[in-house]
Amino acid sequence: MNHPNRKTPVLAWMLGASLLCILPAVAQDTFPAQPGKDWPIYGGSYNNQRYSSLKEITAANAPNLQAKWTYHVEGMHGLESVPVVANGVMYVSGYNRIDALDARTGNVIWRFRREPATSAFQRGAAVAHNRVYITTNDGHVLALDARTGAQLWESKGGPLVSFAGTPPMVANGKILVSGNRFHGADGGGFIQAYDEKTGEYRWTWRAIPDKDDPAIKTWGGHEPGGGPIWIGGAYDPDLKLVYYGTGQPNPQWSGKGRPGDNLYSDCIVALDIDTGKLKWFFQTTPHDTHDYDATEIVVLADVTFKGKPRKAALQANRNGFYYILDRTNGEFLQATPFVSRVDWGKVDPKTGRGIPDPAHEPTVKGTITCPSTAGATNWPSPAYNPATGLFYVTATEGCGVNTLASSAPDSETSYLESPRDKESWQLYTRAIDAMTGATKWDFKQIRSNHYGPGLLTTEGGIVFSPEQFGQVSVLDAKSGQSLWHYNTGDLITASPLTYSVDGRQYLAIASGTNIFAFGLPEKAQ
Amino acid sequence: MKTALTTALVICLALTGAGAQRRAAPSGPLNPFASNAQAIGQGEQLYNQNCTACHGINGGAGEIGPEIIHKLSGALRGELDDNQILDVIRNGTPRTAMPAWKGKISEDDILKIGAFLHSLRGTALDNPLTGDVALGQDIFWGKGQCGSCHMLAGRGGLRGPDLTNIAAVRKSNSIVDALTKANHRIYGDGGVHLSALPPMDTYDAVHIVLKAGKTLDGVLLNQDSYALQLMGNDDQLYLLDRQQVQEIDARPPIMPTDYDKRLAPKEFTDLIAFLTRQGRHAPPAPSRASSNPDPD
Repeated sequence: MNHPNRKTPVLAWMLGASLLCILPAVAQDTFPAQPGKDWPIYGGSYNNQRYSSLKEITAANAPNLQAKWTYHVEGMHGLESVPVVANGVMYVSGYNRIDALDARTGNVIWRFRREPATSAFQRGAAVAHNRVYITTNDGHVLALDARTGAQLWESKGGPLVSFAGTPPMVANGKILVSGNRFHGADGGGFIQAYDEKTGEYRWTWRAIPDKDDPAIKTWGGHEPGGGPIWIGGAYDPDLKLVYYGTGQPNPQWSGKGRPGDNLYSDCIVALDIDTGKLKWFFQTTPHDTHDYDATEIVVLADVTFKGKPRKAALQANRNGFYYILDRTNGEFLQATPFVSRVDWGKVDPKTGRGIPDPAHEPTVKGTITCPSTAGATNWPSPAYNPATGLFYVTATEGCGVNTLASSAPDSETSYLESPRDKESWQLYTRAIDAMTGATKWDFKQIRSNHYGPGLLTTEGGIVFSPEQFGQVSVLDAKSGQSLWHYNTGDLITASPLTYSVDGRQYLAIASGTNIFAFGLPEKAQ
Repeated sequence: MKTALTTALVICLALTGAGAQRRAAPSGPLNPFASNAQAIGQGEQLYNQNCTACHGINGGAGEIGPEIIHKLSGALRGELDDNQILDVIRNGTPRTAMPAWKGKISEDDILKIGAFLHSLRGTALDNPLTGDVALGQDIFWGKGQCGSCHMLAGRGGLRGPDLTNIAAVRKSNSIVDALTKANHRIYGDGGVHLSALPPMDTYDAVHIVLKAGKTLDGVLLNQDSYALQLMGNDDQLYLLDRQQVQEIDARPPIMPTDYDKRLAPKEFTDLIAFLTRQGRHAPPAPSRASSNPDPD
């Protein structure tokens, strides 16, 4: 594997050739800083920028794109997974299952199935070192041989948990997985690490504070719950920190019984990859009563912010604000709304602290709030292009109604789209200036109004922009102008990928229960 | 929450058990308030005042009481008929949190709640509203001008939805809303995913100017970022690329939503009585043994 992100193995050079035999294992820990021919993990690379170095497909030749192949994934519905690719093989995952395909043709090479069979939503696998990693819906992590699908190990070391189908992170000799319910009913969100080679359990971090953690006082005496971690993380190999977002506190919409900030719900957290210890956290929506979560993909980027170089963490949050943090220490740098209406609360411009507006608390009668619980964005992955300086996000304009079933402190409830036409939901592929947060262009996804797919961008100057209602478009990364499109004929709720085999670049996406791959015609290359 | 769920389950099981015992019992007289739109509305108010402390709105699950109408109540729906449900309301269910309402509210109010629950349980065809159906048919084709946009069994206009089977797929109150409320869109749960790509069901009226100069008026059947599908006022289907289009202007909706005012009260009641009878129940799925042999 190519490892440009890894510093020259100075240690090896210093210690001499006798130690080289152990070094490849260390050096292989890191994926390329930028996805190129392979797309080995959910976000393409550790930083989740979804910015590919491939530039065969450009804004100039994109109008020549054509469908290359389609593969139907049997027994599933509404795929949310991002296939991963290594060495010309694509791995399409669900819980307990993988289909390995020739990424040039879509021809299936092997299938792996494990009981219990399920079509539940799952978001992907990871491939590294000739091994494919997936989670099961009964709390196991599996490693398969990438060439044959033979099972190499099945983890048994961790506590009894329920995984959320988040794509595994492979980093620093470990597999990181996460979930919503630790130890049964509502033990809260968690992240776990296993040894990459053996599957041996390493550590757990929980979004629910321990009894001796001062954060326990932010629950007003209520039993802490929630903080589900159902989206994958990012990793900085230099800082040795992993970054994840945590979900909402429980009960989701009724905050009366849990006065306080409810840590570590709705947080971006940085953990030491070796120990699982919390290095820092930043809470986006304290005392969340709108199920906003902070699980949206965290993008890592080295930027110049207000004249100063920064190792930044970027997140377009479901609560409608686009956050810029210093990822070395969690320092708040900026938050700007990226949708036109945000009224659940404000953000203190100095501290970044979210200040909920009591007028927008959910009620038995129903309270209209912007954005809706579905969010200004959700799990669809954003993309960041350092060349354009733009952060591309699937943005949802509109508001929602939160209705409590009763005024009881822990009342259950539901959410609806706002009944007012001007507040109905509409999706956009939106480009915002990554440093100012200002919207630079919009591509309206006509008819698409719910969650939608994620995005990617490339050095070829394009944004690959699928839509909830089945269209996939290639947009000019600078202007947002549509250059090419194709109707996949089914709903899309996954994020796309790009890869190359034998020098040919492909764009791919799961639509409904099919995988589509697109590329240039041979003569146009 | 766990306690509430357990309680709900107990009630649910208790009701189901009661239903099984009562299954063979005669169902008794028809609720005098069934199919009476006004009484159903009062029943809804009474339900919201008295029942939603335990059960959910619209017969859904609440914090203590089980769902009455939908999924979990499949057994209830199948095994308790209207009079058995009224019996549960009057006398309660022993060993559960379900109290006896007899004496607490009037018998008429119990019957109205029963009529409301009945109206939730099926389509309009299951609960057709009362009125003069023959006169309603005259209104449909005459004064109401419904047939200028809607089809019934192959007759009528093309710009609105075909109503041949409307009573089998909509509830009575939904049909009334469509004729009387400007915003009668049915909003789903925000967390629910679509399972397929539907055409548009909003029948948006538009005026389109093509770059070639021609203009078109009609309703949108579908659209995306690249194409439009239009049913023209001339009953022609137009398949357009956005590149052909100079501009698209929204026009006022072609569906009037003041039928309760533009028609006399009796005319409106008769029209609703007619509409809530348009359709037929889906036949049971044929079993392999009983299905007809392939004619080929």
